[in-house]
Amino acid sequence: LWSRFVGKTLDREQLEPVMEQFRENLMSKNVAQPIAEQLCDSVCADLEGTSCGTFTSVRAKVSGAIESSLTRILTPKRPVDVVQGVLAAKKQQRPYTICFVGVNGVGKSTTLSKVAAYLMSLKFKVGIAACDTFRSGAIEQLRTHAKRLKIPLYAEGYDKDAAFVAAEAIRRAKAEGLDVVLIDTAGRMQDNLPLMRALAKLIQVNRPDLCLFVGEALVGNDAVDQLSKFNAQLTTLQSTGIDGIILTKFDVIDDKVGAAISMTYTTGKPIVFVGTGQTYKDLKRLNVSTIVKSLLK
Amino acid sequence: MVLAELGSKISSALNAMTNSVVIDEKVLDDLVKTIGNALMMADVDVRLVKKLQNNIKAAVNLDGEAAGINKRKLIHSTVFKEMIALLDSGKAQYKMKKGKPNVIMFVGLQGAGKTTTVTKFAYHYKKKGWKTALICADTFRAGAFDQLKQNATKAKIPFYGSYTENDPVVTAEQGVKQFREEKFEVIIVDTSGRHKQEAALFEEMRELERAIQPDDTVFVMDSSIGQAAKPQATAFREAVNVGSCIITKLDGHAKGGGALSAVAATQSPIIFIGTGEHIDDFEEFNSQSFVSRLLGMGDLQGLQKILEK
Ligand SMILES: Nc1nc2c(ncn2[C@@H]2O[C@H](COP(=O)(O)OP(=O)(O)OP(=O)(O)O)[C@@H](O)[C@H]2O)c(=O)[nH]1
Ligand SMILES: Nc1nc2c(ncn2[C@@H]2O[C@H](COP(=O)(O)OP(=O)(O)OP(=O)(O)O)[C@@H](O)[C@H]2O)c(=O)[nH]1
Ligand SMILES: [Mg+2]
Ligand SMILES: [Mg+2]
Repeated sequence: LWSRFVGKTLDREQLEPVMEQFRENLMSKNVAQPIAEQLCDSVCADLEGTSCGTFTSVRAKVSGAIESSLTRILTPKRPVDVVQGVLAAKKQQRPYTICFVGVNGVGKSTTLSKVAAYLMSLKFKVGIAACDTFRSGAIEQLRTHAKRLKIPLYAEGYDKDAAFVAAEAIRRAKAEGLDVVLIDTAGRMQDNLPLMRALAKLIQVNRPDLCLFVGEALVGNDAVDQLSKFNAQLTTLQSTGIDGIILTKFDVIDDKVGAAISMTYTTGKPIVFVGTGQTYKDLKRLNVSTIVKSLLK
Repeated sequence: MVLAELGSKISSALNAMTNSVVIDEKVLDDLVKTIGNALMMADVDVRLVKKLQNNIKAAVNLDGEAAGINKRKLIHSTVFKEMIALLDSGKAQYKMKKGKPNVIMFVGLQGAGKTTTVTKFAYHYKKKGWKTALICADTFRAGAFDQLKQNATKAKIPFYGSYTENDPVVTAEQGVKQFREEKFEVIIVDTSGRHKQEAALFEEMRELERAIQPDDTVFVMDSSIGQAAKPQATAFREAVNVGSCIITKLDGHAKGGGALSAVAATQSPIIFIGTGEHIDDFEEFNSQSFVSRLLGMGDLQGLQKILEK
């Protein structure tokens, strides 16, 4: 009877079945399998040999440890502050440049337009560079947004070298006194080397102030591969690779918010914005505690 | 794609089992775990994986009388039966009728690849000699009509759409009417991306269905999708009469397991897969022959026979 009231020391055997439940739950919330595995393994290792208070269950203890681990992963070490960036560039009398990259159809162009609307609401002068010179309708898509938002769009047409289109757009933006240039790029698969090289060239030639990876919250295990390959391909002597992440289609996934973990865990880069719909106002900040709550539910 | 890779992972797990002398609880547990992990890493729905694991365990009665060799056979055939059950919808594919209008509506989540795929689909039938046309019923997305128009023009396929009409139902109806009158055989309707959380978008899809009465509705699904695949696919199937699936972007790194779960949810066969951004990056998909090819691999030869018994 006494043993019930004495604090116990946790061993692997007690922890494992509980860990298994949490691991499975994380995967059902769309955390990539290897990441759910690693995360639970390290929490388990941390807890092994620690004492569990008299009235706390193993479950509660594990839950607490996973909660702080998830919070740590989602809390950026170096947050990205777009507004500060724009103001700093303004002081140097040059436009601040943001490049949007990612795989096909995730929402790069739509998100770019939302960011344009957001920066305009802060009274910055924004321009768009149409550097997706490949996908049918890509330029008309941006032209529609530029017209609606009443901002300048620089386009040279299809089949042009995206790196040079961006360079010319930035040159003109400077001459015209714009504060921000948003660079749209064509979607591409992370394994497509020629296309990845072309993107690396665009980054090298133009050295944007900010390179944002746009990924959709719908993505499963591929999130890990997408981010690590984009980051690796874009990291060169001249460039630090991906600076931050935009997580789109957050309105499409209910509580399956695990991609947020997969993406931040893989790169350690912050989620700068979250896309929550198809209109300009659907651009939000990441709410870490809400995500952690969903993941533990 | 997912099955090819899973096939090899599973057969190596099965081989590993063959090498162990005694088949006990632990050997079976390890096997079931390996299969589960492989499926999960490929994004197959977690609940489907659990079900499959339980089914395998239940079917393989280790306490039974059967000798080792028969236990192995039993495990092999159970694993593959379950895999097939995952893929095979049991529903027959829609057959295009020559000399008649076949109206095919494409639906799916935002950015799945519908607009790209409708042209590939049209081009496929055009090459085979069908009189084919495209209709843009996406009046929402910026540049949607230009995208379809540019693709259709390149492929020399007649198209219908409007820059001014903002009701997709009206555009779809007019387009279908015109192409019916002009005796087109394959009339393909591209629609906006949508998701189950936005009821108005689903209602619009139902209205489209009522208005144009498609002969088949194709659900387009991105191969990189994770655990949200199944609930979304289920909602599409419940809202409209989905009859076929196309999985896109299989030229990427994704394994397509989420898409497979979606296929399971729609209870419809995969008819094509998309393997790139270009018009001919498109392959016919026959799940029956795919599965039998999978079954024909290496030491698994003859398994088909076992299954048929
Ligand atoms: N529901 C929802 N849809 C979104 C969101 N962001 C983008 N979309 C939709 O996703 C689809 C694709 O968006 P795009 O902006 O064209 O994607 P992209 O990455 O530029 O595509 P490519 O340039 O072809 O690679 C469109 O239908 C958008 O409306 C979001 O946060 N929520
Ligand atoms: N690599 C690759 N890209 C593809 C494939 N199919 C489509 N895409 C790309 O995916 C992106 C989105 O395709 P769309 O056809 O615009 O998708 P959609 O479903 O019509 O999008 P919405 O109308 O906005 O819902 C584009 O960049 C396409 O080029 C494929 O099989 N492989
Ligand atoms: Mg785009
Ligand atoms: Mg489309």
